[in-house]
Amino acid sequence: MTDARVLAGRATRLLATGVDAVLVPCLTLVLVMMTGVVEDAEDYLDAWWTLHVFLLAVFSYLLLNGLTLLKRGQTLGKVMLGIAIVEVGADAPPSLWRLIFVRALFFPMLFLLVPPLILIPLADQLLIFRRARRCIHDYAAGTEVIRYSKRRRS
Amino acid sequence: MLANSWRWILGILLLVNGFGASHAECGRSTAPLDEYTSGWGIDERNTRHQPRSRLNRASISDLTLRWVYAMASDTPRSYPLVTADTIYLGDGGRGLIALERSTGCERWVFKHEGEFSTAILPARIKAQDALVFSDRLRGVYAVNRDTGALIWHATVDEDPLAWYSGSPIIVNDRIYVPISSYEVALALNPLYGCCTTSGGIGAFDLITGEKLWYLPTISEPPEKTYTHWGFVQHYGPSGAAVWGAPAYDQASDTLFFGTGQNYSHPTTDTSDAIFAVNATSGAVKWVRQFTENDAYTAACNNLAWQHPNCPKPTGPDVDFGAATVLVHTSDGSSLLIASQKSGDIYALRPESGETVWRRKLGRGGIIGGVHWGISADEAAGLLYIPISDKELVGFPAPGTPAPGLYALDIETGEQRWHYAAESRCAEYECVFGLSAAPIATNDLVLVGSIDGYLRAVGTEDGSLQWQFDAWQKFAAVNQEPAQGGAFDTHGPIVFDDMLVISSGYSYVGQQRGGNALLVFQLDENDD
Repeated sequence: MTDARVLAGRATRLLATGVDAVLVPCLTLVLVMMTGVVEDAEDYLDAWWTLHVFLLAVFSYLLLNGLTLLKRGQTLGKVMLGIAIVEVGADAPPSLWRLIFVRALFFPMLFLLVPPLILIPLADQLLIFRRARRCIHDYAAGTEVIRYSKRRRS
Repeated sequence: MLANSWRWILGILLLVNGFGASHAECGRSTAPLDEYTSGWGIDERNTRHQPRSRLNRASISDLTLRWVYAMASDTPRSYPLVTADTIYLGDGGRGLIALERSTGCERWVFKHEGEFSTAILPARIKAQDALVFSDRLRGVYAVNRDTGALIWHATVDEDPLAWYSGSPIIVNDRIYVPISSYEVALALNPLYGCCTTSGGIGAFDLITGEKLWYLPTISEPPEKTYTHWGFVQHYGPSGAAVWGAPAYDQASDTLFFGTGQNYSHPTTDTSDAIFAVNATSGAVKWVRQFTENDAYTAACNNLAWQHPNCPKPTGPDVDFGAATVLVHTSDGSSLLIASQKSGDIYALRPESGETVWRRKLGRGGIIGGVHWGISADEAAGLLYIPISDKELVGFPAPGTPAPGLYALDIETGEQRWHYAAESRCAEYECVFGLSAAPIATNDLVLVGSIDGYLRAVGTEDGSLQWQFDAWQKFAAVNQEPAQGGAFDTHGPIVFDDMLVISSGYSYVGQQRGGNALLVFQLDENDD
């Protein structure tokens, strides 16, 4: 852990998020198809199908990113772009509960169902343009995103 | 079980919420509910001819906009019930509303969150004056006309995705409810395994709301057919929805209604068909199909999508969406008039379904041809047929569109005249056609166009007698913004010296929404 900490670039973070925003829904789509939770007429008698799809989306996220998040603070997108989430000051991956129950609360998808609330993740993202390059979810979880060095793993 | 629990909860909510705001200054209605013949078809044969009207060629120029009520919905599809002192209408998002007929003052609003989809029907139930209506998703409701208290709520269990789109009719203490299915739209979801539901018609006891019988239009159960994307299972047969109000023949105790297309393959011989059904038992007397192998869902609306839930081969989607009409001819016999979205009009013998005459009007298409309905003037021996021929970008129809109003001889089908309404869509971005059902009275037929004109046409020669441009903002009596839009769905209702119509309908896309209930009246000095 001797490398100087370099904050991840804004464009790099955006790109990594974009990669995750494609991969997770794709896997969710496959799982929804395989499980058939929205396939039958009876599924639409109530709103439970929305919960089923949501849970499959969470499962997809964890399946794709859970291990790398736990070990190195990286989603697949962040792995590809060479950046990682670390605890501020500690320079180590944050605990999984912070990633899931604090950072993930700001995922835009969660707010799409109530249109005015989309302002929350928008405001969250805008803070990236401050010098600290930390979004609201970073402040809430006590994290920041830095360039990932292989030596940092050792 | 869960669905039943929801129904109870909904029923209780309606009961609790039933006591809506009322305005003491308007007072209570005392007029009987059956002052005029009413319901979607005006009478049980669906002629949509109102003899009790003073609107005619001589007086129509004095018809002026008296007041406007701003509805909550911009896609209103409730056909009002009118009495001597009150107009009852359903407003999606607001509820069941009673307006003082002369002023538009709100007598009361019984809150109801669902979408009103049908005519408001009058009924007498257990010594109570009742209003009966359908919520498109939740079923049929009967409520007390003074308190809004729920009397009964009825649904069909046979179709999990039932749409209560078509207006019921009440005959002999029974209510007959046409059933379609929102599976036709659910097919837009590419992960949905299309399709398993069948259209149908249910008979309910008017007093208790108990189901007496239910007739699905497809008797075969759906079976697995193929999968797409490796996992999504398809089923068939399905579809043959009943969209229009049934017509009833008292003499033979028969219900007549049309069906829509199939939603998936294999297709059946009951789609795009006319049914004749014993009203007491639900037994089928005869079925006659007019277009074979028509399979189509909303997933086909844009063929370029190559949507997996668009059945292949894809049919032309030429439902009998319009209500069937039973007319009496000059020799005392009857004819059943069936109008198809293809633009084909058929006159059938009610006893057998045998074709007496057939006439093709316009080009036809998935929004018609004939979309919602026609009207019949037995005294004049004429049928008034609105043709939509609406242009759709994603599902082009072959041929030249010929929208307008056509008058056909009831007995021969011979065309007497054609009113080709002018479109303003060259100036404005809009679509054109006559989709809404017309209404006839005296020597006039009144019809609204998708591009926002309400017109009165003379029945003798098809000449334009009066028109009103509804594409404007109105000052509403309830002090809320009111905007006119497309005329579609149920069309106008007339009575005495008045005409009522809702303006705005954005449901089918490419059309202007609006929320204006327009109430016209002849000027006082007309007498």
